[in-house]
Amino acid sequence: MASTKPRDWADDDEADEVAVELPPPQTIQNKDGTKTTITYRLNENGQKVKTTRRIRLVTHREVVNPRVADRKTWAKFGLSEKDSVGPQPDTTSVGENIIFRLSTNWRKDTKDEAKDPNANAMKEQLKDKTVKCRICNGEHFTARCPYKDTMAPVGAEGGADVAAGMGDEPATAQGGAAGKKGSYVPPALRGDRGGAAGERMGGSKYGERDDLATLRVTNVSEMAEEGELRDMFERFGRVTRVFLAKDRDTGLAKGFAFISFADRGDAVKACAKMDGYGFKHLILRVEFAKKAQ
Amino acid sequence: MRPILLSGHERALTQIKFNPDGDLLFSVSKDQQICVWFAHNGERLGTYKGHQGAIWTVDVDPTSTMIASGSADNTMRLWEIKTGRLLKTWDFPTAVKRVEFSPDGRQLLGVTEKRMGHLGTIVVVPIVLDVNAEQSDERDLTIVCDESKATVAGWSYLSKYIIAGHEDGSVSQYDAKTGDLNDNIPIHELNMQVTDLQWSPDRTYFITASKDKTAKLLAARDLELLKTYPADTPLNSACITPKKDYVILGGGQAAMDVTTTAARQGKFEARFYHKIFEDEIGRVRGHFGPLNTVAADPTGKGYASGGEDGYVRVHHFDKGYFDFILLGVLIFAASHLTEALAFEDTGLFRDKRRNAPLGASV
Repeated sequence: MASTKPRDWADDDEADEVAVELPPPQTIQNKDGTKTTITYRLNENGQKVKTTRRIRLVTHREVVNPRVADRKTWAKFGLSEKDSVGPQPDTTSVGENIIFRLSTNWRKDTKDEAKDPNANAMKEQLKDKTVKCRICNGEHFTARCPYKDTMAPVGAEGGADVAAGMGDEPATAQGGAAGKKGSYVPPALRGDRGGAAGERMGGSKYGERDDLATLRVTNVSEMAEEGELRDMFERFGRVTRVFLAKDRDTGLAKGFAFISFADRGDAVKACAKMDGYGFKHLILRVEFAKKAQ
Repeated sequence: MRPILLSGHERALTQIKFNPDGDLLFSVSKDQQICVWFAHNGERLGTYKGHQGAIWTVDVDPTSTMIASGSADNTMRLWEIKTGRLLKTWDFPTAVKRVEFSPDGRQLLGVTEKRMGHLGTIVVVPIVLDVNAEQSDERDLTIVCDESKATVAGWSYLSKYIIAGHEDGSVSQYDAKTGDLNDNIPIHELNMQVTDLQWSPDRTYFITASKDKTAKLLAARDLELLKTYPADTPLNSACITPKKDYVILGGGQAAMDVTTTAARQGKFEARFYHKIFEDEIGRVRGHFGPLNTVAADPTGKGYASGGEDGYVRVHHFDKGYFDFILLGVLIFAASHLTEALAFEDTGLFRDKRRNAPLGASV
């Protein structure tokens, strides 16, 4: 067709595509007893597809009853009438391998398989541990604490509690991180960071707050109100912020509060005077708040 | 062991059956198809179309020329295996829950449901084992179960008895010639229905599965209780493996509770018990619904299970299955061996006990 008529470049050359001669299928006998067959076909886009198959023929001889052999030659019928020879992928598939070992103590065997010894040991360790927030001692993870951005952890007095104080003081954290090899240290706490300026860079939105003049008041009565605390501390100077931690469900105070003063001098005075002050049958403990993170 | 999954059914399987040569596997489900598969590779040979309701049961004749099926469309049908041709339809007033060919293939029994004022019956019809012959409409026998309806039934050796399992957990023996009730024994717990009844290869004993979480091995001759296999879940099916002395039980959480149960909790596993020692020796998981039916390959090479999940899983056993010997068997053999040795009295054992150098007295 192409030879009889001068061809234009815009001509649809589909007809010619079909005419493209497919190379004959090849069969190569390999040295290791396998066969390589190369076949060519055209796909729906008219492109030539080369398929290379490597086949190893293994003759598995099985003696079957002639009746059984005869049945294997039967024509398919019903819904399988149009199926080709061999199992059809829509009705037949091969499941995952099942380890099936008969044994009288199979019950024990399967249990051992199911449980990783390490996971088991860990489970044992954590059996009677409950989740405890380092900030407010609530039953949730510290990361989920509603006061996480506003407060320092409760138990972090004087940096004695290293485990709880990890995030409180960068200095201790660094020391801890360096000591424990292999444990993950967030970039912000790594020793090689570029000093205080860098530290501030990605700080939280509360980073700017002047924590120098903030007092932490603990052992506060459940019945305490923010207003009462404000009144008490206002005597020493201008109070910029009073925060009293309250339980979300009951609305009762959790027993600690933060008081921020405008001036650090006032805070020092208040700290000295109010530490040990009796308030609602409880003796307050007042100290300077430590930096959260 | 890699199971072959057969997904030809759209609804829960109700029964699967191997032919006597073990090369064909018939499966019926609550959809309206009967499927036949090649057991060795899971290839579907064909389907038998014609039933208008859920199919409860299927059985294949001893020569693998015909199958019978029973359905909720109140019919029992006879089909030619090779072509899928419908040969005969028997109509009943209620659903047919179980069919079974007699060992010689010349009779077929059907168990009909008790419903709509009709009592449950066991019907026996004659069969001509020729695909071109006219099958007769008459009944050889009709046994009416007025006490408690039969749920399963089968032929004993030589078609001598018809053994039936009942809804109330009892098992009864009928004379297969006259239909007289010989015996009725409460085998399973009261009102825990017998869900399956399958035969040993020689049909002298059989296994029953029940909702009371046990399977029991009974002798056909006098319904003597031979063995009990306790499980922790209601059982839907049980079969006896040829070649090796095991039984396979299938069951699981009741079908209606399946969607609210995790696969592990649901106990959707095939359980293997030693037939003689009654020890549980293994489980095969895989189904994600209760096992409604299990069948052992008559050649002993494998077994298949059909589940509420609509899948049939065909398993071909590994070498370990055939090599396994229960410790009890070993001890038994060993004790006999030592006895024999002691009898011979070589002095070897006694000398060992006295710490004398071995062979001192030999």
